Amino acid sequence: MTVQTTTAKKDWMVEAAKRRGRSPLHDAFRQLLKNRVAVISGIFILILVFIALFVDNALFTFFTGGETKPLLAPYRYGTANFLYTDKPPLTRTEDGQLFLLGTDYLGRDLLSRVLYGTRISLTVAIVASLVSLGIGLVYGLISGYSSTRVDNIMMRIVDFLYGFPFLIFVILMQVFFKAQARRGDAAGIWQFFLDIDKAMGGMFFIFIAIGAINWLGMARIARGQTLSYKKKEFVEAARAIGATDRRIIFKHLLPNILGPCIVAETLAIPGYISLEAFLSFIGLGVNPPTPSWGLMISETYQALRTAPWEVMVPGIALTLTTLAFNMLGDGIRDAFDPRLRGE
Amino acid sequence: MRRVALLVAALVSLLVLAACGGQSGETTEVVKEVTKVVTQVVEGETVEKVVVVTATPEPTGPEPVTVNINWGTEPPTADPALSTDTTSHALIEEIFLGLTDLDPETSEAIPELALEWSANEDNTVWTFKMRDNAVWVRHVPGGETEVVTDDEGNPRVVTAQDVVYGVKRTCDPRTGSDYSYILYIIKGCEELNTADPEAENFQELYDAVGVRAVDDFTVEFELNYGAGFFPQIASMPVTFPVPRWVIEEKGDRWVEPGFIVTNGPYVIDEWVHGDRLDLVRNPHWYGWEEYADQAGNIERLHGVMIEEASTSFALYESNELDTAGVPLEQMDRVKTDPVLSKELVNNPINCTYYYGFITKKAPTDDVNVRRALSMAIDRKTLVDAVLKGGQIPANAFTNPLNFGSPAGDPEVAPWALPEEMGGWGYAKAVEEAKKLLEEAGYPDGAGLDILLMHNVSESHAKIAQAIQAMWQQAFPQATVTIETQEWRVYLKTIEKDSPLEDKPNVYRLGWCADYPHANNWVHEVFNPEEGSNRPLLSYDDPQVGDLVREFAETTKAAQTASPEEQLALYKRAEQLLVDEIAAMAPIYYYTRVAVAKPWLDRVWGEPGRMYLWQWNLDVDARNAAMGK
Repeated sequence: MTVQTTTAKKDWMVEAAKRRGRSPLHDAFRQLLKNRVAVISGIFILILVFIALFVDNALFTFFTGGETKPLLAPYRYGTANFLYTDKPPLTRTEDGQLFLLGTDYLGRDLLSRVLYGTRISLTVAIVASLVSLGIGLVYGLISGYSSTRVDNIMMRIVDFLYGFPFLIFVILMQVFFKAQARRGDAAGIWQFFLDIDKAMGGMFFIFIAIGAINWLGMARIARGQTLSYKKKEFVEAARAIGATDRRIIFKHLLPNILGPCIVAETLAIPGYISLEAFLSFIGLGVNPPTPSWGLMISETYQALRTAPWEVMVPGIALTLTTLAFNMLGDGIRDAFDPRLRGE
Repeated sequence: MRRVALLVAALVSLLVLAACGGQSGETTEVVKEVTKVVTQVVEGETVEKVVVVTATPEPTGPEPVTVNINWGTEPPTADPALSTDTTSHALIEEIFLGLTDLDPETSEAIPELALEWSANEDNTVWTFKMRDNAVWVRHVPGGETEVVTDDEGNPRVVTAQDVVYGVKRTCDPRTGSDYSYILYIIKGCEELNTADPEAENFQELYDAVGVRAVDDFTVEFELNYGAGFFPQIASMPVTFPVPRWVIEEKGDRWVEPGFIVTNGPYVIDEWVHGDRLDLVRNPHWYGWEEYADQAGNIERLHGVMIEEASTSFALYESNELDTAGVPLEQMDRVKTDPVLSKELVNNPINCTYYYGFITKKAPTDDVNVRRALSMAIDRKTLVDAVLKGGQIPANAFTNPLNFGSPAGDPEVAPWALPEEMGGWGYAKAVEEAKKLLEEAGYPDGAGLDILLMHNVSESHAKIAQAIQAMWQQAFPQATVTIETQEWRVYLKTIEKDSPLEDKPNVYRLGWCADYPHANNWVHEVFNPEEGSNRPLLSYDDPQVGDLVREFAETTKAAQTASPEEQLALYKRAEQLLVDEIAAMAPIYYYTRVAVAKPWLDRVWGEPGRMYLWQWNLDVDARNAAMGK
């Protein structure tokens, strides 16, 4: 009897020892690797990241200086070949240039443009989600942890901003900043922002606008999570031994609510990508000739019947990318959800 | 009580609209009853009435012969004195009459209200003899067109006094006509237009304008300088007779349906802003009998307002429009399609597409930069590879269809012409452009930052990106930014008086002749004092001030010179404008690229002139094609 108990106890301890160091994040990651669709999506996104980084050598010239040259892309995105406009895929010029995916109405190589477009779409995805995650998490944590009164005020502000017409806000912002850039008399920090914007082909303020509006949903999720955790015993215990509010928020609450928030953010990324495409589509996005998938579609959709490849190429790229982010987001959510975690 | 009635009516119409939503495709055959709130004029009082109207005015009779067109955009105004754009012109030409009209083929002046005209020896005094059978009419939307009567019950006829009032109204600064400078040729018009309405001598100035009614049907103009083209100016809406008594009673609202009193071959039947504008035949117009041999059979015009050329073209292909423009990206297909290629109309029209340079904003304040940019535009390639509509590369501002145009003459801006036209060809032009830019301190374009702006449009965007690519390839280090603005905002931005810091370096515009003479081009668009002068040319410019003065003097001198001298003077003016001052870069001369269905026999006039009364539509052929 005694022996048996000891063995059982031992088994349990061995098991516990094995599990030591396996955080919920670690578990989730293992779970994610079992999801084939999510893995494929993840690999696809990694390839996109690789393309975005090395489509030209801007990453190196940023440090060393000098002229940027295309690396992965066969040609520069702005080079027009007026002798070869609207040519179908696999067109070869007389001097041996090959347009693998055809050319657009100015004879620009579609493959190069769609590869460069990856950069815009991914940057939007990453920057916008970081901005919204950053603001939303902090805001939600503070709101959820604070007294009911402060919480109420903070959440009513969020409600108010929710009612704010987002599109008008972005349009106003774009119009304002473009006018600022045109005046050319900005100084100091303004000039710095405008320089960044110019270097990014007019994208900077789109990031800001998208991120600055989308933290609202994130704030609500973070607050909800915080509310459910702040009455838990480990928070009580931390408070009992005299931990400061800041320590409780950032050391105890933040790691616990991070998972669901990351999941929510991943699922929001396809929305950001299509939002950028939409803004470019209505002429408020990047400055031409910087290629963005949305801009490429908006420039060529009228030619759907005469030159379908011009709209198909960026269209497929956009579809696959949003699909991949969605699938990956789904996978991560499943991986974090203990109810779906089958051993 | 009325408020309640209105509310009910609004609800009912909402319900009706919702019920109709599902079957919007088939609107022609069903006579629908729709409850509406109609603004009507009853004995001078404005009342709002709830009435039930039917979509077709005469439900019992045969359906009127209706042509379906696309206005392209909402006509900004129906007021002849205020219109500045071709859409408004097109509408005004159908509902109002001028002293003269322009022949659709030759652009010569032909009789309209005036039956004959004559000038004194030096062309400074013009006398027009008018017809006495043009009457003013008022149309009740959805109802009848009635002749307007005076206090004694006699029909109101269009008289010389109406013409005098119309002309003076355009010159009157209180009207605020943006086009009044066209009439500066008339004695006293400029003085009146620039006067302060509060000034004591304002009435004197008003009376002093050189237009007077000799008798009820004879009107006389006194001009500042002899102009053989004056009968063509008399065909422009700014000179049209307008109904004084309506304008004085209603003010700005006189052009609204229900109030407006017109005299042309058609009247406005329905104007749903942003959606559609329908015209119906004015049965009281003299021309239906007098010119019966030329008159067509169009009884009704259904005009939609679709800004996207591709949408409009898709409607044309599904037979919902009888005539339409061809969008850029469809050109290749239309040319090769066996049916569409037969319906295609492609001929030159009197318009020029150009880029203007703001000469006060760096870096385009440097003449070398402006010339280099203009030289580095490969006009021939742009026309052949991007536009594909048979447009002609431009080396001068004045379109070749005008008197005094040096277009195609290699002595004017030879770098803009391809070699086969006697010019330099693009390769040589780019070499020169690079040298000029280096002189200006921007070797290879390093440090050059150009802002190019155009109004929102698919085709302008394509042209702008093509030219951006050309500049970028010629000057690899330069930065060229493209920005777009909505049309009205854009016009404000590039206007002469708007703040310089809001302006771009390069702006896009087109210009279409009001009358086919170089004066309408070089003088009225670019004269630093009397023209619209968007590039902000000035005599004080450190680099080109003297050339600007020479330019202004040349075009001024041409107004009074003999025809042979004029040719030489206008050529010199173009050399200055395009090459030496480089205030603008002419890009191409427009062609009309449009299609019309085989069952529509239409007139192709200059932009802004439809000659709708001469169109013929074979309804049976259309019904057959649509499978009815």
